[in-house]
Amino acid sequence: MKTYVKVALFIVTFIALSAILAALYFYNLKHTDMAKAKPDFVITASLLQKAFEVDETAASTRYINKILEVTGKIASVKPAANNVLSVSLVTESDLSSVICTFSAIADPSKFSVGTEITLRGECSGFLMDVLLNNCAVTVK
Amino acid sequence: MKRLTILFFLLSLVLSANAQKYMTKNGFIGFYSHTPMEDIKADNNQVAGVLDTSTGEMVFQALIKSFHFDRALMEEHFNENYMESEKFPKSSFKGKITNLSAVNFSKNGTYDVTVEGDLTIRDATNKISTKGTIEVMTGGINANSKFNIVPEDYKIKIPGVVREKIDKNLEVTVIMKYTPMDEK
Repeated sequence: MKTYVKVALFIVTFIALSAILAALYFYNLKHTDMAKAKPDFVITASLLQKAFEVDETAASTRYINKILEVTGKIASVKPAANNVLSVSLVTESDLSSVICTFSAIADPSKFSVGTEITLRGECSGFLMDVLLNNCAVTVK
Repeated sequence: MKRLTILFFLLSLVLSANAQKYMTKNGFIGFYSHTPMEDIKADNNQVAGVLDTSTGEMVFQALIKSFHFDRALMEEHFNENYMESEKFPKSSFKGKITNLSAVNFSKNGTYDVTVEGDLTIRDATNKISTKGTIEVMTGGINANSKFNIVPEDYKIKIPGVVREKIDKNLEVTVIMKYTPMDEK
């Protein structure tokens, strides 16, 4: 085999392999680990809820899909389906809070109503409450 | 938003007198797609829902962005290509239990119900009818249902290359754990 054919063959194989590896990498990409992620915004639960209540459009553009580090007092801890835990934070509003969803939490006892907590999560938007997904407690 | 908050406030005032309305803010809606090539599932544990036991009316609202996939890339495609969640952030259902007399809300037990109503996904609304159960318990009510939807009915365009990987009939599971509305 001529040298240039060998080189060409090598390059083609290399490109094909890289493409397959890249495809596999992206296909298997996991969600950002919130415990390690760098937050885009650091905010209190009250201010976050107020931002959505005052101007939902502006707050949506600013916060949706962003990683938020939110501090607030725990208003309630409720188990949801499939071992998911739903923790809501007190805001100035009586009807609307910041709801943080933790997936597959082993130990709900570390969340107690009335204590202050700082957590990170990805903002999904606003229904009656501000919703954060994929949450993790921030250890400082 | 302010208007909605005020409305909601008034509503809860009226209803705290008689606990006939039940609600949840962390209801579950999931979907499951099975094909020989791939199984896909997505969970949403942030569904808001209200059930009026006097009229049998049921309302659900969910954010598309709250649907969670195991694979990050799949979630991105779901939001950006198929659901366009920035343009259509919410999905909702408004309907009614049609055989309300079959349910005794003052007696604990599980009752079979039929629910009919309008399901809105993206900007398309379709009438659906499904069977489910209502479980009356002390201090709360559970509602469960499973039904199928066809993505194309809701103008969800799935490109030919991946069409074979996504079930023609998506199985939707609904699990609501309601508590009385006056209870915070």
